[in-house]
Amino acid sequence: MNERILSIKNSFITESASVSDTKALEILRIKYLSKNGLLPALLSDLKNVAKEDKPAIGKELNLLKNFVESSFKEIKERIDSAGSSSKETIDLSLPARALPLGSKHIITQTMEEITDIFKTLGFGVYEGPEIESDYYNFEALNFAPDHPARDMQDTFFINDTFLLRTHTTPVQIRIMEKQAPPVRAIMPGKVFRNEAVSTRSHYQFHQIDGIFVDHKVTFAELKGTLVAFAKQFYGSDIKFRFRASYFPFTEPSAEMDITCFICKGEGCRICKHSGWLEILGCGMVDPNVFKSVNLDPDVYSGYAFGMGIERIALLKYNITDIRIFFENDVRFLKQFPALK
Amino acid sequence: MKISLNWLKEYVDLTGISFGEIETTLTMCGLEVESFENQNEIYKGFVVAKVVEAGRHPNADKLTLCKVFDGKETLQIICGAPNVAANQKVVLGKMGAVVPQNNFKLSKAKIRGVESFGMLCSEAELMISNDHSGIMVLSEDSVEGTPITEALKLNDIIFEVGITPNRPDALSHTGVARDLAAIFDRELNLPSFPTLSNSNAASSIFSIEIKNPELAPRYSAKIVQNVTVKDSPDWLKDKIKAVGLRPINNVVDVTNFILMELGQPLHAFDMTHLSGSKIIVRKAGSTESFITLDSKERKIDPETLLICDGIKPVAIAGIMGGENSEVTEITKNILIESAYFNPSSIRKSSKMLGLSTDSSYRFERGCNPSITLEAAERAAELIASLTGGTVVEGHIDIYPEKISEPQITLRLSQVERILGYSIETDKIEKILTSLGFSITEKKEDKFIVNSPLFRPDCEREIDLIEEIARIYGYGFIPPVERIAISLEKKNDDTILASRLRNIFVGLGFNEAYGNTLLSEKTAALYGKPITMLNPQSIELSRLRTSLIPGAIEMTAKNINVSEKNLRLFEIGSVFNLVNPKPATFSDFTEDKKALFLITGEANQEEWLTKPRKFDFFDIKSILNLIVSNFLLDNFVSYSYYSTQNNLFDLSCELTVQKDGKTHPIGFGGSISKNVLKEYGINQEVYCFELSLSELKSVQRPFPKFKDLLRFPKIQKDFAFIFDDKVKYSEINDFIKKSSSELLKEISLFDLYKNESMGSGKRSLAFNLVYYDFNRTLKDEEIDADFFGLIEKIKSNFNAVLRGN
Ligand SMILES: [Zn+2]
Repeated sequence: MNERILSIKNSFITESASVSDTKALEILRIKYLSKNGLLPALLSDLKNVAKEDKPAIGKELNLLKNFVESSFKEIKERIDSAGSSSKETIDLSLPARALPLGSKHIITQTMEEITDIFKTLGFGVYEGPEIESDYYNFEALNFAPDHPARDMQDTFFINDTFLLRTHTTPVQIRIMEKQAPPVRAIMPGKVFRNEAVSTRSHYQFHQIDGIFVDHKVTFAELKGTLVAFAKQFYGSDIKFRFRASYFPFTEPSAEMDITCFICKGEGCRICKHSGWLEILGCGMVDPNVFKSVNLDPDVYSGYAFGMGIERIALLKYNITDIRIFFENDVRFLKQFPALK
Repeated sequence: MKISLNWLKEYVDLTGISFGEIETTLTMCGLEVESFENQNEIYKGFVVAKVVEAGRHPNADKLTLCKVFDGKETLQIICGAPNVAANQKVVLGKMGAVVPQNNFKLSKAKIRGVESFGMLCSEAELMISNDHSGIMVLSEDSVEGTPITEALKLNDIIFEVGITPNRPDALSHTGVARDLAAIFDRELNLPSFPTLSNSNAASSIFSIEIKNPELAPRYSAKIVQNVTVKDSPDWLKDKIKAVGLRPINNVVDVTNFILMELGQPLHAFDMTHLSGSKIIVRKAGSTESFITLDSKERKIDPETLLICDGIKPVAIAGIMGGENSEVTEITKNILIESAYFNPSSIRKSSKMLGLSTDSSYRFERGCNPSITLEAAERAAELIASLTGGTVVEGHIDIYPEKISEPQITLRLSQVERILGYSIETDKIEKILTSLGFSITEKKEDKFIVNSPLFRPDCEREIDLIEEIARIYGYGFIPPVERIAISLEKKNDDTILASRLRNIFVGLGFNEAYGNTLLSEKTAALYGKPITMLNPQSIELSRLRTSLIPGAIEMTAKNINVSEKNLRLFEIGSVFNLVNPKPATFSDFTEDKKALFLITGEANQEEWLTKPRKFDFFDIKSILNLIVSNFLLDNFVSYSYYSTQNNLFDLSCELTVQKDGKTHPIGFGGSISKNVLKEYGINQEVYCFELSLSELKSVQRPFPKFKDLLRFPKIQKDFAFIFDDKVKYSEINDFIKKSSSELLKEISLFDLYKNESMGSGKRSLAFNLVYYDFNRTLKDEEIDADFFGLIEKIKSNFNAVLRGN
């Protein structure tokens, strides 16, 4: 008897699984639950069971009956709910409504990424005018009037007094004129050089300059801060080096190189086979700059640094022509939707 | 500048130091190696070989079939040169070698059916000279199998070094050698100078007068007689070529050699063309015309310093000699000029002439006034030995006011204060002396240091600290691992722009970066543009007065590449003249603006969406969003214009009232059809430009919380037929004004026109919402207000109530 119960249960499970419409369900019902169905037959056979086995078998039979009945209920509900939507079939693979995809320019994205790192290091963010006077752009930054250092930055002039700033460094003078040390600032912005437009150079580009002036600021701190920045921006596994250079507004001056992230230092076309990429210029604020803003270089010291944004973005996004930044072809702009 | 490693080694022993280490050291100490040419690499695989047999190629008349012995084996080589012959010693490029002239890698080749295992080379192919008339034939005693790097001494490394403007001393081989000697702690071996003679032989036959000693502090000269001007010997030619100059003759080459060795520019005059046996150094005084060595006629500015003889100019001081006194093959006697000129005077003249030479490049950066005489003596001796001439005893040396070395006090504590790292006093002393500084006094806490005149960049304590750090090595100064941050509030000037960017990006706009420099035509569309003094072209001659013209250009470019549906924005500065001749910052304006532009379809046709073109009301929607973002809602007003200026067909202006002042936040509209036509655009373009400074001045910092409404709203609708001329804004204002304060919201839910209303009429349907924050309104009080309003509208606008 027990075997019969089990076998009917198993066959019911198998057959009920494939039932998907009302018609099949009715056939199933007739087979198992109708007057001449399998379950009533089983129940009527209970009387033939030995008396001492009756309670146990009866319990098993009851469980089977409950199971079959509740299964019928579930299947019916399933078929009913499927039936209501199947009246109007939706093809869910149809395309969605298009929403416009906005994007920040990758110059903005790169500047924000750099700015955010320096903000965490305690730097404020300052902007200055794009039309500068010769004084702020050159003189106050220790460029003597007839010094060849001025040739390092081909300049667009408006007249004898005004020009388009060639770097964002003059903003440091404007800040220090207004604010006593400590001054810890970064200065993002657009700059201009009178250079022919080519794949590698443009007459307009962007820079981020930085400065920190206080008591006891040292070259060792400059190195530490810029290494922290570089690891954050380029990855903590980079190697770096600081080599001697020249900028009129810093002394000592340095260029910071990191291992080329394209060839991992093996040497490639991008790093001119040196394995190193120049990422920024820096140095200790020249005493003549302090004199321009009436600070005593024996009391204060400071460091300054600057980097070009386009160059960084070119390398980072694998772009080979700087002109594409300013052509504003939406096919280019839409390629960089990433937002932080 | 090109620096030859072999040449450097004449002044500093670099034994045991690899080429790579030298390259890195130069770069690290501030003499950046931008590139280099390693002849050992370039000439790898090229050896001396002997032509054993030279026979005819079976299939080609002009080719020779050679058997060539390379010291180990005999190879079959096909040669196309006409001069190849048996028993010649030649240069063989073996398989695998790369021909310098064309970077062609040699391999086994079949030439007209015969195999060839290498190549016999011409001087041109090896880039030794331009001679490509035939293969290079070597002297008979050359030994087969010897690499040409050895046989022809092609084993140099030429560095291209970028010299920063502060380092004129490094524009010479001795200068670069001095840095290397200091870093590697080796002896610097400067060339020996002839002992100066006291004879007045030279000064008795020639005289020199300096009229402007402030521009020419020193002028030294030597005379060499009876020279024979001809080609220089190979060793000199090789050096001249190594640094990228062209050998000229044994006089000019010597002056260039001294220039590259010591950094002292020299000039040799043919004395027969110097009238009056004298040199006068003076300012031009008036505008003169002068023909320089390169046969070009130059206009000389009155302030330019000239070298003249008794009657005429013979050279532009420090820049270039004159054609009239040039050394030629028939020159017999020469005067060697070795002077020190004022750097800024040379720079001005060189700029004015648009002429920069190896001489002017050094003079304007600052030469060494103390070396002029030694340099002239060394040149005279070399010229005499190469030309068979005789040096006239003695010299002429005009040096009215001796320039003294700057004296600098170096406080030893300052080195650590600036570097953040302590360097031993002994090391500091060693670095300074090895660079040519002399320590005249040593105290416990400071050095008194004399700075050599060849280092015009070193005149202050900080300059010495830089020298110490540079030679010690920046890499040895450890970076700090902790920094202190001061706790004051941090400024951020970019917040407003970031906020606008986020709004635009969220609305699906793409950020553009336009050009600040515009053409005259484009800039003229709006405002008062500033013109550049030295533009690259008329196309880039004006500063933008607005972001709109640039955005129209962008739009045209995108439409040209079939990108017709655009949402663009830009944040950037614009410039306008206030005074036509700006002398102060208030004579022009510089303003940061945010522009947004829409054109084409707002929705493209899709199975779910009906297509819709952008229109004027999209501009207003975006503005409303910005207005609510900056919490300006209640203070905003729009003014509308048709053809207010030639940039727009329809335009509007957004103003905000604050503190009793009207702030113009921005303007925009639909770009005029005429302008669009100019740019080849034939679809409507809408844009708007906001002023960031005005927006900043009116923005409200925080919204204040208002209690949520706890009582029901009562809604009422009506529709009126108005005369077409009545503006929506008038009706809206009238409704507000004529209702009780219980009316909180008015919206227009339908606008309808129909023949039956009569011409010049339209129906406007409004939905009104009434509520109070403190109580539930009664129907009767709202009805009174509502029906009262209907009567007022009827009579005020002569409007007809519809329907009901
Ligand atoms: Zn690389």
